[in-house]
Amino acid sequence: MPPPHVSNRTMLQIILKRLGSLVFVLFSLTFITFLVGHLAPGDPIQGLLGNRHDPVRYAQLKHEYGLDLPIYEQYISYVGGLLHGDLGKSYKYAGRPVSDILKSGVPVSFELGIVALLMSALVGIPAGVLAALNRNRWPDRSIMFVMIALFSIPSFVLIPILRYFNFMAYDAGLPSLPVAGWGTPAQWVMPVFVLSAASAGYITRLTRSTMLDVLRQDYIRTAQSKGLPERIILVRHALRNGLLPVITVLGPSAAFVVTGAFVVESIFSIPGIGFLAVQSIGQRDYPVIQATTLLLGMAVVLMNLLTDVLYTFLDPRISLR
Amino acid sequence: MRARTDAQMRTEILPEKVQGTAPSFWARLRRDPIAFASLVFIIVVVVLAAVGPSLYSALASADLKDFRTYDYQDYANINSWPSAVHWLGADALGRDTLTRLLLGLRVSLAVAAFVQIINISLGATLGLLAGTLGGLVDFIVSRLADMLFAFPGLLLAILVSAVFGQAAQDLAGDIGRLLLVSGALALVSWPLMSRYVRAQTLSIREREYVLAARSIGTGERGIMWRHILPNVSGLIITAATLDISSVILSESVLSLLGLGIQAPGSSLGIMITQAIPGLKLNPFQVFVPSAMLTLLVLAFSFLGDGIRDALDPQTR
Repeated sequence: MPPPHVSNRTMLQIILKRLGSLVFVLFSLTFITFLVGHLAPGDPIQGLLGNRHDPVRYAQLKHEYGLDLPIYEQYISYVGGLLHGDLGKSYKYAGRPVSDILKSGVPVSFELGIVALLMSALVGIPAGVLAALNRNRWPDRSIMFVMIALFSIPSFVLIPILRYFNFMAYDAGLPSLPVAGWGTPAQWVMPVFVLSAASAGYITRLTRSTMLDVLRQDYIRTAQSKGLPERIILVRHALRNGLLPVITVLGPSAAFVVTGAFVVESIFSIPGIGFLAVQSIGQRDYPVIQATTLLLGMAVVLMNLLTDVLYTFLDPRISLR
Repeated sequence: MRARTDAQMRTEILPEKVQGTAPSFWARLRRDPIAFASLVFIIVVVVLAAVGPSLYSALASADLKDFRTYDYQDYANINSWPSAVHWLGADALGRDTLTRLLLGLRVSLAVAAFVQIINISLGATLGLLAGTLGGLVDFIVSRLADMLFAFPGLLLAILVSAVFGQAAQDLAGDIGRLLLVSGALALVSWPLMSRYVRAQTLSIREREYVLAARSIGTGERGIMWRHILPNVSGLIITAATLDISSVILSESVLSLLGLGIQAPGSSLGIMITQAIPGLKLNPFQVFVPSAMLTLLVLAFSFLGDGIRDALDPQTR
């Protein structure tokens, strides 16, 4: 059921428009990924056979991998396979499905990504609100200094800094964190911190600026002049409107997390799909990196879709976009 | 009768003081201390990256010359702190850090330059054409950009440099890798540039002075060259400068993932990754490339902000 403020007609238009752009984005993702794989140098079938010269097996494998079809049919069967959860076959191990290789990594990356997104919202939103309420005073200045630093320091510079402090803590006999691996909560701390740092900074900045906008609005002054307590003005009037645009950062933040996942998983040896994909590059197992790109791209598409849906339902003014 | 050229009209209409925006742009940029300091820093880094390595090895006495190359392993000075021989110490394999840093900067700056050349010649041009010509051209350029926008962050650059990396290496060695990395990063950069330029072009086309130019008979081409291009050039320069800082970071990410320059070559990303295991032994080896990278990225983004403010004082 659409919310009462959106008429059925506009709702339908919005949904159709969103669906159209969704289809376009999915087509772009799959088409470009397919194209890059198709243009990949070298003959994957000969690669699978190694040095053996075996025309029969060659033709057999070529057929099995569908590489004997015309290119458009290859693309169609690629997309058809994707719809069935088939991410293609490995170029390294004959006949082994890519999904088999990546299977163990998906939940790990998902966990890492979701936790990092949650953390960046849990830190970024309160920090932004606090900064806006204390505009140009020391809490604002110090919060923004830290958050802009977190936003601008690249993850692979942040990692050594954290590790160095960790070593110092270890040397001083203080509790310290494991530097690699995935599983125990202690192993989560550093990767999640690094992965959420940039988007936390981003969310803080956005929250601060939207809150400042809202605090300048007439209805806030009206509420103040009719003598409402500051706390009620904040909760009922400012936060409700100020936090709405923050939902839109879900999409961009997911994009930060996706690129960051490759770096963080590699450096912390976290067996997620980014880590597995980087390993597959050395073996020239291109379908693995193709599939990883697709999975991460789709994750961001889903996040954007979720953002759009949430926003349309929450903000009555958006109905005509 | 031929219409008078714009230059003639300008000299007739405008008072002398207003003419030429270049001096006031520089004056404004100079008055912005952070942006100006960033510009000076960038120039120093560019000069150092260009002549630094040969100067540094020339400064060494004859028997120490070899020590200051990017791949010479000085086993006596593994993980060493700064000394007279190795001004910034040596890494875990005994290689001179200052030489590797300067060569790494060369890589970063070269990739940044390549990407901006593509970004401006392809992205800005396509944006300008799409905005001016409209119709089918606009549709194709915009949809092409949209297609590339479907890939979040560095995903497409990672995919492309992973799949074609070995072939580029086989074809043209390190240069091939650099060109591939630049091309892959440009693939991520140009859609944004073209979108900016297109939007600005569309808005300028509706201004009154363009209408005035059109009414005195200036053709589409004249309008594009004389009215639109000068007015989007500021945007192009600002966007390219700001993009440089993200390209430098992205190049480091690709190097770190093993997709950029290959060992024993040097790049800031490689230096950081290779020094992380020895962090406890010699944190200075991580600190040097990290600090350089951060400063360089900040400098380009401050400079970009400064240029934007200097070009358009109203945004301040």
